[in-house]
Amino acid sequence: MIRLDSLHVRVGNFDLRDISLEVPPGGYALIIGPTGSGKTTLLEAVAGHARLQAGRVFMHNDDVTGLPPERRGLGFVYQQYHLFPHLSVRDNIGYGIARSKGAVDGAGRAQRVLELADMLAITALLDRPVQGLSGGEQQRVALARALAPKPSILLLDEPFAAVDAATRQVLRRELRGLHEREGITTLQVTHDFDEALRLGDLVAVLSEGRIAQSGTPEQVFRYPNSAFVARFVGTGNVIAGVVERTPSDDRELAFRGRFRGGGLTLDVVAEREGPMHAVIRPEDIVLSLSPHPDSARNHLEGTVARLERVGPITLVHLDVGRPLIASVTTTSSEEMALHPGVRVVGSLKATAILLV
Amino acid sequence: MPVSSLWSRLVLAGLSACLVLFVVGPLLRLLWESSPQSLIEALQDSELQASITLTVLTASMATFLAALLGIPLAYLLARRPFPGRRIVQGIIDLPVVIPHPVAGIALLLFLGRRSPVGGALADLGLEFVSHVPGIVAAMLFVSAPILVSGAREAFRAVDPQLERVARTLGDTGWGAFRRVTLPLAGRGILAASILAWARSVSEFGSIVILTYNPKVASIYIFDRFTAFGLQSAIPAAVILLLVALTVFIMVRVLQPQERA
Repeated sequence: MIRLDSLHVRVGNFDLRDISLEVPPGGYALIIGPTGSGKTTLLEAVAGHARLQAGRVFMHNDDVTGLPPERRGLGFVYQQYHLFPHLSVRDNIGYGIARSKGAVDGAGRAQRVLELADMLAITALLDRPVQGLSGGEQQRVALARALAPKPSILLLDEPFAAVDAATRQVLRRELRGLHEREGITTLQVTHDFDEALRLGDLVAVLSEGRIAQSGTPEQVFRYPNSAFVARFVGTGNVIAGVVERTPSDDRELAFRGRFRGGGLTLDVVAEREGPMHAVIRPEDIVLSLSPHPDSARNHLEGTVARLERVGPITLVHLDVGRPLIASVTTTSSEEMALHPGVRVVGSLKATAILLV
Repeated sequence: MPVSSLWSRLVLAGLSACLVLFVVGPLLRLLWESSPQSLIEALQDSELQASITLTVLTASMATFLAALLGIPLAYLLARRPFPGRRIVQGIIDLPVVIPHPVAGIALLLFLGRRSPVGGALADLGLEFVSHVPGIVAAMLFVSAPILVSGAREAFRAVDPQLERVARTLGDTGWGAFRRVTLPLAGRGILAASILAWARSVSEFGSIVILTYNPKVASIYIFDRFTAFGLQSAIPAAVILLLVALTVFIMVRVLQPQERA
């Protein structure tokens, strides 16, 4: 378990503030955010490398705030791996074992190195120097090295950033498998929300040194709480505008209203008036070739500008006076014979528009 | 510098060759002047033997002291930003620009019996002027900057993140330094130490003021030259040159290759 309690870390002019987060035992949490949002600094603070201005760090209910990194019992895989260049692959992996708590003898150490090498399919590399290993191989060695002393907590800093897409997929799957087998509480940093959706139980979006939103990846993706999060996780179309109350509706909470922005006027269900962003998920826009009779929906007429096929889904880039992205299954895209220039109507329920 | 025409390339090559010949020429001339027999004879001279032994021992002592005090300083300069770091760096580099006799006079005033420091040390039995410790002190003064700057660069070349990795693998700060940074910076530090040692062996200007006797090799050669003339100084000079060349080759082998 990792619990961060109102952390404040200062590095140069940069402040990481009010960071509170709890990763349950055996959980897999991801910190995502754009470059410069403070992700790595956060990991360094958890590891004990960065000095805290305020706040406390707990691991398994123990307050480790004052402990140096070597006494926190964690593994850390860095973005650039940072393998020890003067040691062989075997000695890199074995480095931490001799210094771990229940220090093992030479034979036990060799056994553990072999076990990890086998698990990560790097047995053939054991006697090689680390120079000349490929990105994927370095990443496996770095992971084996971090896991060798059997840490109960694993910190990963963009572990897949430096490997090609195919290797990334394989490694991701292996990492998730490894996590489930070893039951290590894991905290990973990434700038890629896709990774969070595939790996994490919990995700925290970091923006300019603060947690903008945290929750399950699904929650954050479906219900972003700000335009920043919606754009960053790629929820869908984000349009800036103003919400007005429909004169006839005087309910206090969740009233019917009108959103004007980006050249569109949409019926919405709102909780407050004023400047807001409308977030429209592509899958909530129903496309048809002729106007839909259903009056409970917003109808947006426009033309298809471009089709983008993503496997079984096709993203339809529409021009409705402004760009808007809708998604349909590739099958229905073919049935409707969608192609650039076709006139379509996008229908959208008022309740499907998220106002943030 | 972009090289365009054949003419400009010839000029460049010509000027460069002049300087290279100017360095190599005198050294070759000196080696040419000696015969193996004269060298063997010179080596049998007990006075020369004593001076070479003294030179090697004092230079080794000065290098040991420079390493003991200089490696921690080099690490600080490379890794830890502290107030006044630039000033400390400047002070350490200072001996490089001070003429050696000036350094000798300054050391004489500082370590002489009549100064508070020299007096106190003399009371403890450590005499510098006209004693062996004076040679070591002069050598340390001129060679420490070489060791410190070399070691500092060696530490700078080691990724500081590696120590952090070692910490997360259970090493203490000292353990991470000893097992990661020191081995990685080791070659560079060794090269810097050998250079500092060679600088100590070649020192003349400050030692001649502080401790003329007992004579280190450079003073011995000067003494032979002024007392008995050129021919008498040549064999000892050649021997010292060979020692210097050996050290130079060792450093070249140890130093990381320059990038083309």
